[in-house]
Amino acid sequence: MDRIPSLEAFLVEPDPRFEPFGVSVAGLCVSFGVPPGTPQEPLREQYGPFLSEEPPAVAFQVVPGEGTYLEMAPDRFLRLEERPLGEGRLLLSHRFAAYRSGRTGVVRVSAPPGTPAFLQAVENVLRWTVADLALEAEGFVLHSAGIVREGRACLFFGPSGAGKSTVASFRSRSPLLSDDLVLLLRREGRFFAAATPFAGTLPQTEKHPGIFPVKGLFRLRKAPEDRLEALPRPLAVASLAAACPFVTAPADREGRLLPLLEDLTGQTPVFDLHFTKSGRFWSLLESEVLHGRADGPPA
Amino acid sequence: MVEQTVHRRNPDVSWRVIEGQAVLVFNIEGEVQVLNEVGTYIWEHLEEEDVDTLAGNIARTFAVSEEEARRDLLAFLQELRKSGALL
Repeated sequence: MDRIPSLEAFLVEPDPRFEPFGVSVAGLCVSFGVPPGTPQEPLREQYGPFLSEEPPAVAFQVVPGEGTYLEMAPDRFLRLEERPLGEGRLLLSHRFAAYRSGRTGVVRVSAPPGTPAFLQAVENVLRWTVADLALEAEGFVLHSAGIVREGRACLFFGPSGAGKSTVASFRSRSPLLSDDLVLLLRREGRFFAAATPFAGTLPQTEKHPGIFPVKGLFRLRKAPEDRLEALPRPLAVASLAAACPFVTAPADREGRLLPLLEDLTGQTPVFDLHFTKSGRFWSLLESEVLHGRADGPPA
Repeated sequence: MVEQTVHRRNPDVSWRVIEGQAVLVFNIEGEVQVLNEVGTYIWEHLEEEDVDTLAGNIARTFAVSEEEARRDLLAFLQELRKSGALL
């Protein structure tokens, strides 16, 4: 049976002995205070170029958990559930429960520090928090591979299995933002893409931690031939909304995410990219999007 | 079957009209749906107008017979309810 902790479980006095480590995603910084003696190496390996000593927007304290919170799903898929609690929100999974209210939070992890289950808990809380911070900063996280071509970001989006890592593997020497999750931010009316530390299939060291203007968005479609098909704007917004994980509150989706997507699709072309596993789609993108007819916002 | 005359959108469905077409996002499943022009008209007005008024307005706005408008409207409302978009 699922066990939902009460608010009291998260009333933890800040402990100055805890060692904070911060992770910054394009300036959205989250820190985790971990118990003294927690092995730092696995955390440093996981977040290498994204480690930061900036003042965090949200600071968590990580403390021991109290057994299992959510039962394992019958299909063994990871269960993650969010719900309101007190003045804040609760994120639950099998081995952790995280509570956040404003700029502070507590994560209870039922796994020894430094173990894979511990790292996975930190990763999930980080994703959840960065998605929230992104919305507050006029941005969102897109389930996509991001590749930088001539200083501009091409984003290839779709669900797991759509081909994001495949596309990323054909990037040649072009910088990679991510092969799984890219952060988009609106700055002075324009959209920029940034790398995230969230684990895909490629190592962190292959990611380029810069921020680049978004040039084109491509919904991935595996196909026997390479071709591009412009998506009508309502369908583009719907497809992008389906590729934005973590935003679950109706008010956030309706009040923040959908207006952002409407703006994005008004200034950036969105296509269905039918692609083969050959890498030839790049020449299509070069001629049609980067230098060609679709070089600009849609009509 | 008696068609209920009052309809309510499910508050767990976020939506926005983009270039005349409603984009619906189902918050629980994260699924999305795009409605056509007539569907968007119905979606926007179904909380304020009953079935008879809606059917009459659709017939006038989209130049179809009232009978056809009513038949399509009822089928569409049923689809919306089945998908969870309506309470």
